[in-house]
Amino acid sequence: MTISRRDLLIAGTALAAGVSVSAPFLRPPYRIDRRRVRSRVALLRVEDYSRPIDELLFLGLRQFPLRVQGKTVLLKPNLVDYLPGNAINTHPRLVVAAAEAFRRLGARNVVVGEGAGHQRDTQLVLSESGYEHDLRQYGISFVDLNRDELVRVELGASYTDFEHLWLPRTVLRSDFIVSMPKVKAHHWSGVTLSLKNMFGVVPGNKYGWPKNILHWRGILESILDICATVPIHFVIADAVIAMEGNGPLNGSPRALWTVVLADDPVAADATCARLMGFEPERIPHIHEAARFLGNSSPGLIDQAGEGLRRPEVPFQVVPEFQHIRAT
Amino acid sequence: MSQERIRAEICRVLMERQLSRGGWPALARSEQTALEPTIYSMLALGPSQKHGYERALRCLLDCQNPNGSWPSFIGDEREGAWTTALALIALADNVEAARSQRKGFQWLLRSAGKESSWLWRWKFRTTDRQVRFDSNKFGWPWQPDTNSWVVPTSFAILALHHLPPSWAGELAAFRLQKGTEMLLDRVCPGGGWNAGNGVVYGAALAPHLDDTAVALLALKNRSDEPAVKESLAWLDGNIARPSAPWSLAWSALALAAHSRCVHRLVSSLAQQLRPNDIRDTATLAVLALALDVDRSLRLLTADP
Repeated sequence: MTISRRDLLIAGTALAAGVSVSAPFLRPPYRIDRRRVRSRVALLRVEDYSRPIDELLFLGLRQFPLRVQGKTVLLKPNLVDYLPGNAINTHPRLVVAAAEAFRRLGARNVVVGEGAGHQRDTQLVLSESGYEHDLRQYGISFVDLNRDELVRVELGASYTDFEHLWLPRTVLRSDFIVSMPKVKAHHWSGVTLSLKNMFGVVPGNKYGWPKNILHWRGILESILDICATVPIHFVIADAVIAMEGNGPLNGSPRALWTVVLADDPVAADATCARLMGFEPERIPHIHEAARFLGNSSPGLIDQAGEGLRRPEVPFQVVPEFQHIRAT
Repeated sequence: MSQERIRAEICRVLMERQLSRGGWPALARSEQTALEPTIYSMLALGPSQKHGYERALRCLLDCQNPNGSWPSFIGDEREGAWTTALALIALADNVEAARSQRKGFQWLLRSAGKESSWLWRWKFRTTDRQVRFDSNKFGWPWQPDTNSWVVPTSFAILALHHLPPSWAGELAAFRLQKGTEMLLDRVCPGGGWNAGNGVVYGAALAPHLDDTAVALLALKNRSDEPAVKESLAWLDGNIARPSAPWSLAWSALALAAHSRCVHRLVSSLAQQLRPNDIRDTATLAVLALALDVDRSLRLLTADP
């Protein structure tokens, strides 16, 4: 068989066309890899949110080689709305304890920042949830991320078709970002933990209340793009009183008496999911984040503090997420 | 201090915060012009504060997008945002701005929540049924390519009430009707509104004071609707509990729009105020509007 120049030209053109069509699907949608060789998680037993939490948290943080001297630390709690009796928000006492601990560890400035997803009246959520009183008492400043100055940022991944996002200057200027989620089941994403908590850095002033554009572009995809763009340096998750069922607002409180510390957001979320009685690899955004944002496998996570005990009865979830419960 | 003096003090602080381009930042000490605080500040100051008002007007006209819409802040993309309705309220009756208004209204009438498309209506009816709402009733989104929500729909209805009669046509009447139906459909069980989800997965969600107040302003002429009556009662019953200036100021405007006496609410609001301590410029400006309630209602609702 002889191959003519014409055949070669046709074959070459077909190959080039094939590569150009399939390359976007073969190339991973992320441009960074933040996975550590090993990740570290510590579980602290916390019986309530009262004063002793300060020392406990400080000692817990000392188990990590944190380098925050002279740095600006942003604490990003989950502060969504206020409904009396519902465990919706990261408890303000935990946030104050974290601020005090990072100050003791040498941080130059500690700021609390959040862009509430449902409530336009930030002042109202702060005062009703107890934040206003506690932050003022300890001289901790709060930045409303829904209304902060905005900077256009190219994304670190392309799971959505966003070309860029406008993000708050306070977030982008922070040296060390601590995601402080309330551990909750979530009716759209299965769970809301340290990764999903970063929806709160997306400004309402630009994207609305709720940040509906993130739902239209895909919740899983948006979580991954945001977390690829805004690094989470540390996690302090509030699972003292968590939430099961129809979260993030209307679920039921469920006590785990635990604060989860981690130097890796994926390890933190995988651990929290296990504490809730879920299989983290069945939660799509945690599963995908483990490809580039951190470790979810127990074999890659060094665990300190209390032992990880799965509950006898997994957390309740809405019907669409029954499959994430460990069986 | 009297209400007038407190209002004058707020206006003084607003003037201090006005940026060199004529707009206002969302938060004190920021340098980025945001449209929402700019428009409330402009309405609060009024033409009597000639210098500040005229600079604000120029800023507003200068930042209009080529498609007739307005951005949410200066530097934003040029596709348009929810602030377009607010800009049209601020420019109402301004002869100088007639051309800008016409382009703005044309954009506003074209802008709609995604449920306005048959494809998405079908999706919401068949596969996406966890949120209880009637997808035939649609209003306005916060930004293009998203759903209708209560606050942008309410602002758009208020803006369309300022539409000059010679420009109003069938489309404006249709959008007003659909937007009003959408608000009435999205009311929370027991009255009041939140962002726009009354029931999710069978659970009733709680209303918010500010969202309720803005919706009630838009439904000023629908006081006889059962949902409006119920929401007024809810608002009336909830302003007494500890709250925040932003929500209380909007509540005062809404209750006054429905002929409720707000004298005590406004005077207690005025007594607690320390304008310099309020970092959020939009809150400060809405407080100034609530302290001059009759004039503000004329500006917001287009009532004579």
